[in-house]
Amino acid sequence: MNRAKQGRKFLALAATSAMLLVACGSDDSGDSGSGGDEVTTEDTTEDMTEETTGETEETTAPEGTEGGEEVAGGAGGEFIDFGTFVGDPPEHLDPALNSTLDAYQVINALYDGLTEIDFSDPADPKVVPLLADTVEPNEDGSVWTFTIKEGAQFSDGSEINASTFQKSWERAADLAGDYSYLLTFIEGGAERLDGTADTLSGVVADDATRTLTVTLSAPYSNFDAVAGFQLFFPVPDAAIDAGSEWENSVMFGNGPYDLESARTDQEIVLVRNENWQGDFNGETWPDRLDAIVFRTQSDPDTGFNAFEAGEGDNANIPPGRIQDAQDNWGTTLDVSILGSYHFVINGRDDRIGGDANLKLRQAISAAIDREEINAAVYNGSRTTSTGIVPSGIPGFEADLCEYCTYDAAQAQTLFDEWVAEGGVQDGPLPLQFNADAGHEPVIAIIIDNLAAIGIQAEAQPFPSETYFSELADGACVICRAGWFADYPTYDNFMYDLFHSDALDGNNFGFVNEEFDALVDEGKSTTDKAAQGELFRQSEDILLNQQTMAIPINWYRGDYAYDQERVGNFTQTPQGLILWEQVTLSE
Amino acid sequence: MPSFIIRRLLLIIPTVFIAVSFLFFLFYALPGDPATLIAGGADRNPNPIQIQQITEQYGLDDPIMVQFFNYWKDVLSGDLGQSFQRNQSVNSILADKAPNSIRLAMWAFLIELMVGLSVGIYSAIRRYSWADKLTTVGTAAVSAIPVFVLGFILQYAFAVYPNKQGWPEWMRLRTSGIAAPRTEEEWFLFFIPVGPEQWRYLVLPAITLASVSTALAARMMRGSMLETLGADYMRTAKAKGLSERKIVVGHGLRNAMLPVVTLLGLDLGATIGAAVLTETVFSWPGLGSTIADAVTNRDLPVVLGLTLAVVVVYSLINLIVDVSYAWFDPRVRLGEGGQ
Repeated sequence: MNRAKQGRKFLALAATSAMLLVACGSDDSGDSGSGGDEVTTEDTTEDMTEETTGETEETTAPEGTEGGEEVAGGAGGEFIDFGTFVGDPPEHLDPALNSTLDAYQVINALYDGLTEIDFSDPADPKVVPLLADTVEPNEDGSVWTFTIKEGAQFSDGSEINASTFQKSWERAADLAGDYSYLLTFIEGGAERLDGTADTLSGVVADDATRTLTVTLSAPYSNFDAVAGFQLFFPVPDAAIDAGSEWENSVMFGNGPYDLESARTDQEIVLVRNENWQGDFNGETWPDRLDAIVFRTQSDPDTGFNAFEAGEGDNANIPPGRIQDAQDNWGTTLDVSILGSYHFVINGRDDRIGGDANLKLRQAISAAIDREEINAAVYNGSRTTSTGIVPSGIPGFEADLCEYCTYDAAQAQTLFDEWVAEGGVQDGPLPLQFNADAGHEPVIAIIIDNLAAIGIQAEAQPFPSETYFSELADGACVICRAGWFADYPTYDNFMYDLFHSDALDGNNFGFVNEEFDALVDEGKSTTDKAAQGELFRQSEDILLNQQTMAIPINWYRGDYAYDQERVGNFTQTPQGLILWEQVTLSE
Repeated sequence: MPSFIIRRLLLIIPTVFIAVSFLFFLFYALPGDPATLIAGGADRNPNPIQIQQITEQYGLDDPIMVQFFNYWKDVLSGDLGQSFQRNQSVNSILADKAPNSIRLAMWAFLIELMVGLSVGIYSAIRRYSWADKLTTVGTAAVSAIPVFVLGFILQYAFAVYPNKQGWPEWMRLRTSGIAAPRTEEEWFLFFIPVGPEQWRYLVLPAITLASVSTALAARMMRGSMLETLGADYMRTAKAKGLSERKIVVGHGLRNAMLPVVTLLGLDLGATIGAAVLTETVFSWPGLGSTIADAVTNRDLPVVLGLTLAVVVVYSLINLIVDVSYAWFDPRVRLGEGGQ
């Protein structure tokens, strides 16, 4: 009997003494988070209490301000990001392996490529040279010549020259990541990837003249935009030696930031690269952030809670809290992101595909009230589509789609004509989407809209993790798709999504020779105006003449940030944050 | 007793084997090809060359029994495999996440023990008093609230609201992670956080995780205590003139503890391996959320490896619970014939 009593007493004693030990024992409460470069030492007096809440009197500046920064307001500071990695930590941080936008945020801060996209005028993005001094295509866009800037170097001082790019691209071929198919744009790339060749024959590097000559497998006038994509970033020799282990080490590059330490599942920490040669204007942004700490959040809502609790400087806006974010915080909701949310139709399915069902497809598209979807589901934070390709893509034209404005009368007429011509509804049409990703209300509205004109439709959810592979196996009938531009070109949408060569034979069953021909010709046309016209014609076939895709809306930015503390925070239309331009203030 | 312990320890081996093998075969019954998923099939249509490479690299086209045999061969030599999704060995993932889960579970256990037991005992002694009624209603309410809802409410009350109202720093708790940004977490005696800042990260998740079980423990303790208090030997003790404290704690508690110990012990095992909701709400990097993510990503080695560890720990805890019966109630002598 005494033992039980003694046992409990001991436990209580142990717990209390442990707490006392801990409370008294630590003089340094360390970083309270966003204190930046602490120049003052922290003086903490501890209250010793019985509770487990460890109350402590801190005499440092409260959370949300900088402690003891010597530099005049706005310089440096430590930025805590809760908005980029939501859900899982990134799979890859290596530019040759990565395929997601969230990791691209980090990679873009670590590396600079041959070219960059200048979005100062979002409606008119320009490809500008970055590491390259000059970018010269030949007459038909089949050979591109880049001269590498003098003095280009990685943060450890090692030189970047033409051969650096050649070695980096060979490395990308070896690692064979998701985007390695871009190497097939280069002559010899396909052979290099499938192992029949040892090198990329189309790449010639001359370090003496600092010239990189790239011969393409087919003329492609937008190659300069692609050359600035992460797969083509230069990497240091250490990366070439480390291979796929590079991303688990302390990566460094030639961008405005380097990794401070190896990444963990919880955090990725970037620190300034003082050796950075500047952006495409030569501006080195000397007041840029000292450090950026990317903390992985399990879930958008918990990330937003943590942000609202003052633990971080930005967050991803969860659906349903858009109004709250707009009312209380700075947001990037006004930025148009180059991405499309749309439905694709499987031309091989008899219920919906083929010429006989064209009017049915047009009726479906015209019957959908896209504004209602935007208002009800996204609180107005998306932009209703008037085509697949969004504004900001060179060649864009508004209102290209003839069936994208809500017109129930037109839809009804088309449907009635279809029925009159022999169309028979053989059961409800399935609308397919990945479950638990916020698409359910969109589908519900569409089903309602279609029922109003007499079209029966039903929701067919798929588990999120297998959705795209099921579609690849041919499961699509009318399936939801989303696409973010990898680089701002018309063909990134038209070719990658709808050309019969893309995505191994085009899972959605849209095979149209005229469309293919127009896209191919557009890709090789060097005259930008003519190119735009060709691509618009191809989209016209896709949306109006064949109606094989139903655009719904275009994405907008999705970050909330603390506008009292954070300055100059915005996303480019590619969704990227230009970290070197972000500032922190008191 | 020793032979009992040894037998139970040996039983852990077939337990682990059956549990993990069951998962292994179940995995192949799930839809979705892991190679396609690893190749990025969740976001964009995967490159068929990549799928082929991954299939070869991880031996996913070997017959199932060959994969099964290879898997166990590796495990027996201490290698839990390589994650499909991440460029990391399962051993290192386990080493990263397990301590966090164990620490959180230990703290939840302590809260359940101290709060649950004291509340339960007090309501038993003071039956039908207002305090008893309060705890009855309170425990019912707490156990009815879903864990993640409670987590959100606590986050809001102790972190978001204080921030919005501009309360001082020392009054605020933290909602996300296990330590301040860019700070290595430090622990004293493995599970006591060093420094007040680190405490702030631990408090809310521990309370949330402990909440339901504390309520259950309190109720169970009360019921068990009431039963014990009504026993003959208790009246004898009272007749002998012992103080109430001696009676309750000395005589009553030890007997009443048994069912509660079982509950808390089982719960400890569950909180180590399956605290998915709490870990998600507080972004606490533990085993539960890692396993859940691995299932979604069809990351078989991670699912199997981490589950294996959890099953071992769970079995050991069960063993300790069973052994503790002998300590609590001398009438129970394990491993020997009936008394």
